[in-house]
Amino acid sequence: MSSSLILRTEALDKSYPGVHALDHVDFDLYEGEVHVLLGENGAGKSTFMKIISGSLPKDSGRIFLRGQEVDIVSPQHARELGIGMVYQELSVIPGLSVGENIFLGRLPKRKPFGTVDWSEARSQAKRLLDDLGVDIDPGERVGNLGIGEQQLTEIAKTLSMKARVVLLDEPSSALSDEERERLFTIMRGLQEKGVAIIYVSHRLVEIPQVAQRVTVLRDGVKIGTLLVDEADEATLIRMMVGRELGEQYPKERIERGRELLRVQGLTVKGVLNGLNLSLHEGEILGIFGVLGAGRTDFARALFGVDPIDSGEVFLDGRKVEISSPSEAIDLGLGYVTEDRKDGLVPRLAIPANITLASLKKMTRLGFLKHDEERASAEKYVEELDIHTPRLSQMVEFLSGGNQQKVALAKWLCSQAKILILDEPTRGIDVGAKVEVFRLMNDLAKQGVGIIMISSELPEVLAMADRILVMADGSFVAEYEGGQASGEDLMRDAVAG
Amino acid sequence: MAEKPSGSSISGLGRVKTWVATPQLRVRLGIRATLVFAVVIFVYYVSTAPRFFSVVNVSNVGARTAPGIIVAVAQTMVIISAGIDLSVGAILAFSGSLVSVAYCYWGLPVWPAMLLGLAAGALLGFLNGLIITKGRIPDFIATLGMMGTARGVALILTGGLPVPSHLTAVTLKAYLPREVIWMGSGKLLGFPVGALIGLLVVAAGWVILTHTGFGRAIFAVGGNREAARVSGINVDRTKIMVYTLAGLLSGLAGLVLVGRMNSANALMADPANLESISAVVIGGTNLFGGEGGVIGSLLGALIMGILSNVLNLHNMQDFAQRVVMGLLIIGVVLFDQLRRRYGA
Repeated sequence: MSSSLILRTEALDKSYPGVHALDHVDFDLYEGEVHVLLGENGAGKSTFMKIISGSLPKDSGRIFLRGQEVDIVSPQHARELGIGMVYQELSVIPGLSVGENIFLGRLPKRKPFGTVDWSEARSQAKRLLDDLGVDIDPGERVGNLGIGEQQLTEIAKTLSMKARVVLLDEPSSALSDEERERLFTIMRGLQEKGVAIIYVSHRLVEIPQVAQRVTVLRDGVKIGTLLVDEADEATLIRMMVGRELGEQYPKERIERGRELLRVQGLTVKGVLNGLNLSLHEGEILGIFGVLGAGRTDFARALFGVDPIDSGEVFLDGRKVEISSPSEAIDLGLGYVTEDRKDGLVPRLAIPANITLASLKKMTRLGFLKHDEERASAEKYVEELDIHTPRLSQMVEFLSGGNQQKVALAKWLCSQAKILILDEPTRGIDVGAKVEVFRLMNDLAKQGVGIIMISSELPEVLAMADRILVMADGSFVAEYEGGQASGEDLMRDAVAG
Repeated sequence: MAEKPSGSSISGLGRVKTWVATPQLRVRLGIRATLVFAVVIFVYYVSTAPRFFSVVNVSNVGARTAPGIIVAVAQTMVIISAGIDLSVGAILAFSGSLVSVAYCYWGLPVWPAMLLGLAAGALLGFLNGLIITKGRIPDFIATLGMMGTARGVALILTGGLPVPSHLTAVTLKAYLPREVIWMGSGKLLGFPVGALIGLLVVAAGWVILTHTGFGRAIFAVGGNREAARVSGINVDRTKIMVYTLAGLLSGLAGLVLVGRMNSANALMADPANLESISAVVIGGTNLFGGEGGVIGSLLGALIMGILSNVLNLHNMQDFAQRVVMGLLIIGVVLFDQLRRRYGA
């Protein structure tokens, strides 16, 4: 590490209500270095990147750029300081050309009328792309490019702003192997020019290929920074997941009943590859996987939201066809979506949301049974302890945790025997999480079978009776509850 | 967790000062003042309009507003489902023309002719729904196309002439039937029949939206299409039903209008689309779907009807009235936006 320090943070701190997203994080970055930032979902990686790139203000702590303390107030300001961010979600505009995207808002002008100097823009763009060693025509519509080339366009855009510090947020999740190789080559080229790169990734295997150092974050705390030579996979995984499973997970063991659901060879071309599983009464089946593993695609396919290409589904041993959510509901399935907003109608009152999946039961000759609706809504608001000033409150105005309880109540009301919960605790506070887990226990005791899809290792480990690990659209491993460690699951999930 | 009201411990004069001092509260004050001002102006013009409160005039307003009210109910349901129907006016004219042509020229008996007109309206609405859901064409475009098509067919049917017309005396079999004229111009117990039909439609719309599973589905589809689908609601069927109903009601409005004018023509009710959307918006239904109701739309249609009538009584030129109506719509929506933003 002979080169000079370019970026340093000292006790960088950021809190959201109920979450300490970054807890006094010290970090340093040298010129010409690729520094990997590693951590589970919610470890604080994105928060860190957002603060450095100026899109989020820090609560406290100091940031130094080449030894000078800076207060980065906006993304614009960060760019002026030479810090460029390449976002996880591409921010290119598909209808414009590569050159226009690169110089968006800063196109070279021609005097005297300030018209765009297209030939200059083209040649500048060409030079930038040549420097990157990529062969993309600056005049090509970005929408016609592959994801990898779009990503490269973004990188070129960042570099065109003379960035000396480049933040890459999980750039490889959408790339093919070939495109990833090319990206690494480009990163090495940038390094030689002295550009420093912070690289957020989930893929442990690629770290030795690109990085010099790795910093691991967990729950907002920096666990440590290692040289790549010291950072073998086992060590990194332990650093990422090693934490206590305390009172947060009130797991109760429940006797497993007869088989409720069996899925054989469920396939959606290019997304899900011949999935098999079975689910029993009173069982909580965990499905663990990282982003893009196909967890939500599986839930949607099983629930009839998306069509399947092949595969068979058996309920109570009887073969069934599920081609729409309404059929799934009639067969006793329920589905709490990954994003709460996909499962609730925000401008409808609590009772209307709770009974939404039970409208057939709640109507007589097409007319709503208002009394019955109110009665069952009251019952679930009471049972699930949904905090609301009044029953007729629109769910839009409830807190995240209470919204999630309404989403759950909808399926209690429809008397689902099989519940698919996709990230059931995402974005809700610790107290509400515990309540959701208790509710899962209660349901399991009543014989409901639960499929819990989650990217939160601790909750899968603690709550699931059986765990399936998903990667690239396949179930790659299965563990009985208590048989697997977080390291095992993470290894399976990131393999390949 | 329920949020506690943030501390409002300032009292007396201090409170008044802060109330006016913060920009947000100044806007709130402005919003309330504007509302009061608007109501005062409205009441002033209504009360000083010559003969406004005469029995003839009130019943006249009722009869004139009726088709607008019926179409506004149709538009309300479409908009709550997060759609928009630009073809209500054209379907109205088409249905009205069809009934008249069928009776006067084709010699169909009165009831089959009326039934044919209503069914044809419903069919065009059904086609709207089908094109939007199965063809995946935006509501705006599909109904815009239907608007041109329905007007065109109506023009072909009528040859571009009023029905009945003596220019086509060769084929003229009868003048418009009494039943249709009764719907538009008749009285029942002293009330204009058209207005009674309008109120009946409002009542039916209210029952559908607030007391049926179908109505709940309309709100769910408009409020969050994806959530509705995942909750087992058939989104396509709901939308098709809404548009079919809108077509049927537009056809009914066509009958009432023909009855009032004692004549049909393919170009009648030209501003019906804009007026219905205006009534819905003035009535407080969210233009993006998911919330609203027919009672508001009834009030919206009445406000516009009364305003137009009052301006007539004050002898305002028709062209200038259009300006007033246009500004009214912008004003109401702007007002509503400010009210929402500043929570007044």
